[in-house]
Amino acid sequence: MMSPNLSWIILLPLLGLGFVCLVPSDKPSLIRRISTVSVFLPFILSLWVYAAYDHVAGGFQFVQNIPWVVPLGISYHLGVDGINSLLLLLLGAASFSAVLISASIKERIKEYHLLLLTTVIGTYGAFLSLDIFFFYFFHEVAAVPVFLMIAIWGSERREFAAMKLTLFLTAGAALALVGLLALYLAAGLGTFDLVQLQAQLAEHPLPMEVQNWIFPLIVVGFGITLTLWPFYTWAPVGYAEAPTAISMLHAGVLKKMGAYAIIRFAIQLMPQAAHHWMPFIAVLAVVNIVYCGLVALTQRDLKYILGYSSCSHMGYILLGLACFNVIGLNGVVYLMFAHGIMAALAFALTGFVCDQTKTRNLDELGGLLKCMPFIGTCFMMAALASAGVPGFGNFVAEILVLLGSWDQYRWLTVLAVLGLVITAIYLMKAVRLGFQGPLDTRFAHLTDTPTLVEKFPYVLLLALLILVGCLPSVILMHIDSSTKTIVESIR
Amino acid sequence: MFPIIDWSLISLEVLISIILVSLVVVDILLPKHAGKDWIGILSFVFLVSLIVFWLTQRDLNGLAFNGMFVMDSLAWFFKMLFLVTMVFVFAMAREFFKTLGERKSEFYLLLWLALLGMCLVASSADFLLMFIAIEILTISLYVMTAYLKSDKLSIEAGMKYLILGALASGFFLYGTSFLYGATHSTHFNVIQAFCQTHAMDPMTLFAMVLIFAAIGFKATAVPFHMWVADVYQGAPTPVTALLSVGSKAAGFIILIRLFFGVFGPWHVDWSLALAILSAVTMTLGNLVAMFQTNIKRMLGYSSIAHAGYLLMGAAAGSMLGASGINFYLLGYLFTNLAAFLVIIVFSIACKSDEIADYAGLVKRSSLLAFTMLLALVSLAGMPPLAGFFGKFTLLMAAIQSGYTWLALIAAVNIVISLYYYLMVAKRIYVDPPRVLTVIPVAANMQLLLAITIVGIIIVGIFQGPFLDAAMSAVKGMYLSRL
Repeated sequence: MMSPNLSWIILLPLLGLGFVCLVPSDKPSLIRRISTVSVFLPFILSLWVYAAYDHVAGGFQFVQNIPWVVPLGISYHLGVDGINSLLLLLLGAASFSAVLISASIKERIKEYHLLLLTTVIGTYGAFLSLDIFFFYFFHEVAAVPVFLMIAIWGSERREFAAMKLTLFLTAGAALALVGLLALYLAAGLGTFDLVQLQAQLAEHPLPMEVQNWIFPLIVVGFGITLTLWPFYTWAPVGYAEAPTAISMLHAGVLKKMGAYAIIRFAIQLMPQAAHHWMPFIAVLAVVNIVYCGLVALTQRDLKYILGYSSCSHMGYILLGLACFNVIGLNGVVYLMFAHGIMAALAFALTGFVCDQTKTRNLDELGGLLKCMPFIGTCFMMAALASAGVPGFGNFVAEILVLLGSWDQYRWLTVLAVLGLVITAIYLMKAVRLGFQGPLDTRFAHLTDTPTLVEKFPYVLLLALLILVGCLPSVILMHIDSSTKTIVESIR
Repeated sequence: MFPIIDWSLISLEVLISIILVSLVVVDILLPKHAGKDWIGILSFVFLVSLIVFWLTQRDLNGLAFNGMFVMDSLAWFFKMLFLVTMVFVFAMAREFFKTLGERKSEFYLLLWLALLGMCLVASSADFLLMFIAIEILTISLYVMTAYLKSDKLSIEAGMKYLILGALASGFFLYGTSFLYGATHSTHFNVIQAFCQTHAMDPMTLFAMVLIFAAIGFKATAVPFHMWVADVYQGAPTPVTALLSVGSKAAGFIILIRLFFGVFGPWHVDWSLALAILSAVTMTLGNLVAMFQTNIKRMLGYSSIAHAGYLLMGAAAGSMLGASGINFYLLGYLFTNLAAFLVIIVFSIACKSDEIADYAGLVKRSSLLAFTMLLALVSLAGMPPLAGFFGKFTLLMAAIQSGYTWLALIAAVNIVISLYYYLMVAKRIYVDPPRVLTVIPVAANMQLLLAITIVGIIIVGIFQGPFLDAAMSAVKGMYLSRL
């Protein structure tokens, strides 16, 4: 069987970007079509990569390695294992649906798709890179396009939200960069290659005192991306004001880059420091879960509820990272995927509702299920998924995390379970206020998504969510093959 | 004794002098109101051929004039930077001074003189030659800064630059005389030998501080940065571009020559001082830049901040630090020239340099808007643009030499700078335009803008060859202590 070439996952959207550049801006439908194709093809490729990945053999596969900056040991090194092949799939699904729902954008369509494609390219590149430099490089490529997209196509407080989000994320990235550079220099190998660094540091770990100050820099730096309490404040406002596609991509995929980086660069390369610091992070994680959950309870703005909910659920990922066992780490990766799909779905639906009703305030909404049965049903399912109801991916993931943490953090686990109850309360409240009850006459004329094509992105995401909820083994086999080796190496 | 001089070593300087003199003659012979801008066109042709010529001279190496003049890989690299900068500055000047008439050709001659000064600076291996070279550069800059005779700001800028520049020259000479007192020489190699055998004493320290003050003036390091904002704002924009790219690079090649070469043996003594200066310079530059309303002033303060980042490399005092400085200057060249090209085209069309007037630029000229966006994002050090990798290497150099605190301060500064760069980007891309007239961009300006865009992206993505060039420049450096 022919094995997939990972570079095409980056190059195809880049090619699409080039084509969109060439199309005059008065041909919006052509631009949209090119843009759709250029996120659809990498999605198909990621599916292929996922299917072709041999989870029995494990390790990094489909590797490409081209020396890039020789004196500093930087190489263009791509490869996938069970973790990032899954994240590619997540990005593929989320970006494809994000471009599909972007049909509602009516202004400056060319710029919109150029920026959206740049964001997608950067994220693909970050997930594919096995070189720390290129991970950082691609990770930062997405920063400025996201700023511009929020600032141009966002809602009321868009400029504030865009600036806040970008500055927080850049601050985190810059902190992490200092940590990564220190790590590179301390390892003394003269290479940014993750595989080589892993091999070297597993044999000869860095001195404890060095690990102990580099580790927090990287974890807090990327933790900001992952909305680690108390550095999460950029997220609710950012997601609320951003255009729907960006909320979907950012809450769904981009912030997972933080968790991915913490697994790969912090925990795996500095296991001793991880054992020292992660218990503190576990406490912060539970604060994340409970505090952000309680804040979400008080919100009346639909998007803010989702924003805080997303911050709250990142707590489970952080808690799982602190477990150091296979079950917990499986839960983390599972949750990255399931939450990503769920968040993309929820923000897409909310975006649709807000576009139609021109309000996000739950006090004004109500009874929408009557006029938008399809959207309403999807939203209810997303809410159930988020609250951890069995049958959806999130349930499996959260159970895994809680099982993983039970032995080490008993009280924290109890509090974390409380978080699930809180989630259920605020999401059911949102469903009740927004979609049930009497329908306001203002909204009586509104209709559901008219065509099947427009329903497709929601159906796709929901189907994935149910699939991984009912057949966990589909993705657990992949995840397991990689998490096992990681956990063995950090024990 | 009649010294034997290898003339090929000073071929570039000789060619520039010949061109300069012959352009003077051509200028005199040409009728007063010649229809065409002959000097400008000739200058452009000469410059491009000089660049081609210089590409073939990469292997030049040696000393001339009793060791006063050195031609090494570092000099080659910087002279290349200066030549490329000058191509852009000449084109900018042609555009900017369209209305200036006959005084234009004199401006071109001054630019050639400045180029001669910069090239000599790059090759000085003796404090006296260095002084003369700096003066050739600076004096032509004084005149050019005050070139807009009827513009109050330009006169004020020229005056300020003259007074502070004269002071800096005084410092330089004063420091050199102390150094001569201690070492009985102005030759770099003699002084370096002295540094190797002697510890730093109060007299040499005093001399070094004075000399650093003069370099700091050129390189716009705090606390010698006072002139920057006013001069950047008041000077004709091509001159501002030259100041921010060429003159700053000239400051940094002196810094590299002195602190990585001549005073290299005393590295431990001055390294911490440079690190502190670096931290103060970048922080002050960025904090003040946040509050600027004039784009040239903002870029002035941002240029101070960039001097701070560059000083990180000097504080590191390592191979990586020096190559980082070279790479950074290379990326900075395309980035800053792109920004100033946009400013020139914009200010000619709109008669304004206020940031507020840039509102909605994207609706008036998408090329200008896009170039400015790339320039700003590259200045902020975001990948995949040229500014990123420079900051990356400098941060790495700082951490490698044990200045992690400095790297952290730089990280904070990157965030601060991103704020004000993005504010301008926001004005350009988000705010509604005040006027809707389309800004015309002439074909030659379009070409230059395209070159800078390609430069910013290529240097940002294919860093390898450029880093190699920056590194080999340092490796072959005369008197290198690395």
